[in-house]
Parts: sequence; structure tokens; C-alpha cells
Amino acid sequence: MVLDLEQLLDLYRDMWLVRAFEFGLEREFKKGTVPGMLHIGVGQEATQAALAAHLEPTDCFFPDHRCHGLNALAQEKHAGSGQRIMAELFGRATGVCGGKGGSLHSADPAVGNFGDNAVEGSFMATVLGVALAWKMRRQARVACCVIGDGTVGRGEFHESLNLAATWQLPVLYACVNNGYAISTAVGASHASANIVDLARGYGLPCVQVDGNEIELAYAAVAQAVGHIRAGRGPYFLEFKTWRWQGIFSGEFRPPEEVKYWKEEHDPLKLARQKILATGRAAEAAVDQIEADTKAQIERWIQFALASPMPGAEKATANVYVGWEVASR
Amino acid sequence: MTAPTAPARTRTFVQALTEALEVTMAEDENVYLLGEDIGKMGGDFGVTRGLFEKYGAERVRDTPLSEAAIIGTAVGSAMVGMRPVAEIMFADFLGECYDQLVNNAAKLHYMFDGQFKAPIVVRTACGGGFGGGPHHSQSVEGWFLNVPGLVIVGPATPADAKGLLVASIEDDNPVLFLEHKALYRVKGSVPEGKYTVPLRQAAVARPGRDLTIVAYLKMTHEALAAAEVLAKEGIEAEVIDLRTLRPWDTDTVLGSVRRTGRAVVASEAPRMGGLGADVSATIAEECWADLKAPVGRVGALDTPIPFSLVLEKLILPGKDQIVQAARQVLGVRPAA
Ligand SMILES: Cc1ncc(C[n+]2csc(CCOP(=O)(O)OP(=O)(O)O)c2C)c(N)n1
Ligand SMILES: [Mg+2]
Repeated sequence: MVLDLEQLLDLYRDMWLVRAFEFGLEREFKKGTVPGMLHIGVGQEATQAALAAHLEPTDCFFPDHRCHGLNALAQEKHAGSGQRIMAELFGRATGVCGGKGGSLHSADPAVGNFGDNAVEGSFMATVLGVALAWKMRRQARVACCVIGDGTVGRGEFHESLNLAATWQLPVLYACVNNGYAISTAVGASHASANIVDLARGYGLPCVQVDGNEIELAYAAVAQAVGHIRAGRGPYFLEFKTWRWQGIFSGEFRPPEEVKYWKEEHDPLKLARQKILATGRAAEAAVDQIEADTKAQIERWIQFALASPMPGAEKATANVYVGWEVASR
Repeated sequence: MTAPTAPARTRTFVQALTEALEVTMAEDENVYLLGEDIGKMGGDFGVTRGLFEKYGAERVRDTPLSEAAIIGTAVGSAMVGMRPVAEIMFADFLGECYDQLVNNAAKLHYMFDGQFKAPIVVRTACGGGFGGGPHHSQSVEGWFLNVPGLVIVGPATPADAKGLLVASIEDDNPVLFLEHKALYRVKGSVPEGKYTVPLRQAAVARPGRDLTIVAYLKMTHEALAAAEVLAKEGIEAEVIDLRTLRPWDTDTVLGSVRRTGRAVVASEAPRMGGLGADVSATIAEECWADLKAPVGRVGALDTPIPFSLVLEKLILPGKDQIVQAARQVLGVRPAA
């Protein structure tokens, strides 16, 4: 699939929105305005943009800890309120979960975001149920879960692939293979460094793609989503990519590896080159996209910082449906 | 609560459960069942027998030995409006899906601030006394007691089993529904048709004025047998069957203890960290002025459950231990 310039520019904007989001968030985290833990997805923007481009609000996705980008894109595209993902990360009342979920548990069913589960991979079991319900109701929807390479070690990975294949469920597995789980290289902890090798035995289509080439990632998702919507069962996609973030801070990976991914195979640089190579986009206009998204993210951050903290009544709200829990 | 409108007949505990599934499946097409060998075979204990023939493989769904996927599937489908009833063959296997229940089902509603519900029911066979050994006999409610968001139900009679199961399926919260294996063949009067027994409401299984015995599941029957023995000694014990174990019915229990001034709490689980600990601590906190003696607590010895029936009998508590605890709380010697 070759994307036209219009599509390329849209995706480039989405990718920049993700990068600006993550860098803005990291800056605020270092200042201490963002509580908790932070896993930023810089370097993986193309996979996030490719998924966001194809998932409808009536589909669902279970984002993992490195999916702020996908969450923000879905929120912005389908509800025009990307700033509410930002506010959630700041623990504010205006966040998508009123500040009770944070980075690791943001959800908004209205845009198809079914929430992260910070116990990595647990939602690989949950996604089966959504897919089963839709299949039972003959609804041609896609139930997607985004997992990292490290998450493949969970038992749920195997339980999930087995059942999705056996029951022919409309599940899209989007595996973001960035080479490491915290500090452990994928090949050091799995029987194959290529996750598709582990998935193939379950008999579903398994495709590996360069996750930093937006055109390839986009086309791969289009193919997978088409397959699932046509009622042909689950689909496994592995995006080969790399995250800029080391283990929280510090760099443990070889310098030549870092150089390759950051300088030669950066998804944004690659996309920019592609756009300019068409000869139909002015460099200044392309640079403007970067500046615009950065400004947009600053507005989101301001929105988050200006938002109220959750009220005390929220502490005991929604533990049970219909039953109150004692407050202090 | 919807009270029964039809006459009662005699049914086993298992049949009562089957009827609960049947009446809810007939009424609501979102109710479906999943678990190991629950289809044609009707489950290890026969609770789903006949439902596969009636509702087919879509709604009575056999699964592989994937307990996490069973509960995950239940939760995911509940997030989009289904009412799944999952069967985990033995409660001892809840460890395999502990995360799904504790970190997912129980927290969904809270952490996403009310945007999702997880109205699932997880039925499972618990309890010992039949030589099931260390991995098929445990009383597991203690594993789940400090999990906000989860409801734990444990019926003692066939009529309650049916009414509580219907209520659990209709409830919007995740319910862990414990079925004691020793009760499966117990018979009782069960109303026909659909009715519910309310969650969070204990039952007074036997009224009395001298002391309160709080029990649940099989221990309710042991407590009733103990009350018979005590009655012969002129002691009138009130037996309270908790029915819902989390959150439990403090009003009924504390009201009774305020009247009797004495309490024994009986559970089949080891005492450490068990429901008996929470009930007796709450009684001590709330009824101190009314208590005439420290609360008595009956439970299993602090061991895993051995295979040998002789040893198992030594470990698990029963009528005799309850009688003994009651006498101690009353400060009376056994009748000669
Ligand atoms: C079940 C579970 N085990 C461990 C962790 C701690 N943990 C958080 S992220 C992570 C690594 C995940 O690696 P991967 O899936 O490759 O995602 P990446 O961070 O590389 O995007 C670990 C071990 C967890 N959250 N859940
Ligand atoms: Mg990784």
C-alpha cells in the first residue's frame, strides 16, 4: 500500500502529537507534577498512529503501559478531548477516569479505550470476552490488545491465543517488540526473539512488520483489521521497533544500537523524508506540523495543571455498583 | 428481592443450582455459562446438566484448562453487557485466575471510575471432608476477604442456593459463589420458578436467646446440629447463616449478639486470617458493652488438608467443636 500525501501528513501529525505528548509529560514528571510511574513511548509513534488510524470507537483496544499515544489519539479523534488523557496522568478530576486510573489505568469506552491493566498481559484474557460477546451478537468489530515483547512470557499469552484461535474470535494482537522488557533482551528470555515464531503454532495469521515505517505499519494494520472484520478470526501483528527510554533513566544498550534507532531508523525522520521525497510538500509546512503539535500539547498540559484534584467523595465512590462503602 | 410465587418441591442442592441457571438463561439471553466440561457432561458435579441440550454450545461453553482465560473471558464479555456464569471446577484452582478476579473483576468499576461494570458470577466447589486431599478440599474465602469490590456468597440450603444464585447473576458486581461439596446432595424444599434471595442478608437459621452462633456453608449445618445438642442441656442457641460472606450482614449478627450477649463464630477454614477473625473482631468492637464473655472462634487446625480421612477428620471442625466452644463461652461444663 502506498499512502497519498494527505494521509502521510495526517499520520505524521499524529506521530508528532504522540512524541510531543511523551516529551511534555516526561518534562512534567521530572518536575514532580505527574505522580506515580512513567513509561514513555518515544520511538514507537508509528505503531500507535497506525493502530489509531484503523480502530473505530465501536471497536475496542486494551492499551499497555506504553500507550499514552494511542490513548491520546483515540481520545482526540473520537471525542475531541485528548487533553483528558493528559489530565488523567496528572491525577485530576477532569481525567478520563477522574484521576483514579492514571497512566497505567486510563479508559474511556466512548472512544473504544477499554483500559490498561498494569498487571502486564492480564487483559489478553479479558479481550477474549469482549470478542466473544461481539461474535455471539454477530457484530463485526475488532477487539485489540497491545502488548510488549516481555509480556509474551505471561501464561495469558498462550491461553489467549489458543482460545481466540479455537473459537475464531475477532481479536487483533498488536505486539510491540521493542527488544527489551525493562533490561532483559527479548532473545534472552524467549525461545525466539521473533514473537511471531511463538504465536504461529496457534494457527492464526502472524505477520511481522517494521514498526518504524509508518506506511508498512499502516498497511499491516489495515490488512489485519480487514481480515477480522470479514469474520475470519484472530490476527497477530508484531511490530519491530525500539523505545528511546532506557530503564527509567540511564542507557544500558550498546551505543551503535542506540545510534541506529535514534538517528537512522527514527519513525518521525523516516516519515519526514518520505513526505519531502514526494516533492509536493514544503519543508516549512512540514516543520509547522511539529511546532503545532508541541503547542497543542502545551495547552493540554496547562489544562491538566489548571484542573481540580478529585473531590474526597471520589475515594469511596464506585467500589460496588449500588452499594456504598464507608468513608472516613 | 422477588419472593417465590410457585409452590415448593423437594430438590437437591445441585438441582436447585441448575434451576437457578435455567430460569435466568430462559429469561435473559445475555446469560451464558463457561467452564471445563460443563457442556454435554454437565460439569464435574452435574450442576449444568441438561443445559447444553437446551441452550447449545454457544451459551454452555466448554473451555480448556485455562482458568485465567475463563475468568478473563467472563469479565471482558461482562464489560460489554453479557452476564456470564463461569465454573471453576474446584475452588483450589482459583489461584490460577486469582489475578483476573482480584486485579481485574473486583477493581474495574473503581479504577475506571464507574465506566465499566463486571457483573460476573464465578461458581466453584469448595470444602473438605471427602478425602479430596490438599488440592481439592480447601475453604478459600480467606484468600478473597480483603478484596474490595468483590462479593462472596456461600449458601447452606438448596432454597438459598437457588435464590442466591439468581440474585448473584442479576447483581451488577462480580460474585464469587462458593458451593460446598458436602452440600451438593443435601435435599430441601425449593420453590418452583424464579425468585431471589437478597445478597448481603444473613438468615436466622434457628432462633435462640442464650448465645449466637454465626456460621456459613457446611458449618451452618454443623451449628444447627450443635444447637440440638445444646438444647438438650437447656441452652437455646441462635444460629445465624451468613449467606453473603463479603460484605457480610453486620446488622443481623450484631443485633443478635446484643440480645444474647454471647457469640461463637464457626468456619471450616483455618482461623488465621479467616472470616471468623473479622466477624469476631467486629463483634468485640461493636458489642463490647453487651458481651458477657469473649467471642468463641471455631476453625480448622492450622494445616493443609491431608488425604487420609482419619487425619482430615482431626483437622476439620464440626458439631463437637462448636458445642465445646459454646459451653466455654457460656461457662458451663458438659452434661454428664
Ligand atoms: C505481570 C507483571 N509482571 C511484571 C511487571 C513489571 N513490569 C512492568 S513493565 C515490565 C516490562 C514489560 O516489557 P514489555 O512487555 O516488553 O513492554 P515495554 O516496557 O518494553 O514496552 C515489567 C516487567 C508487571 N507490571 N506485570
Ligand atoms: Mg519491550
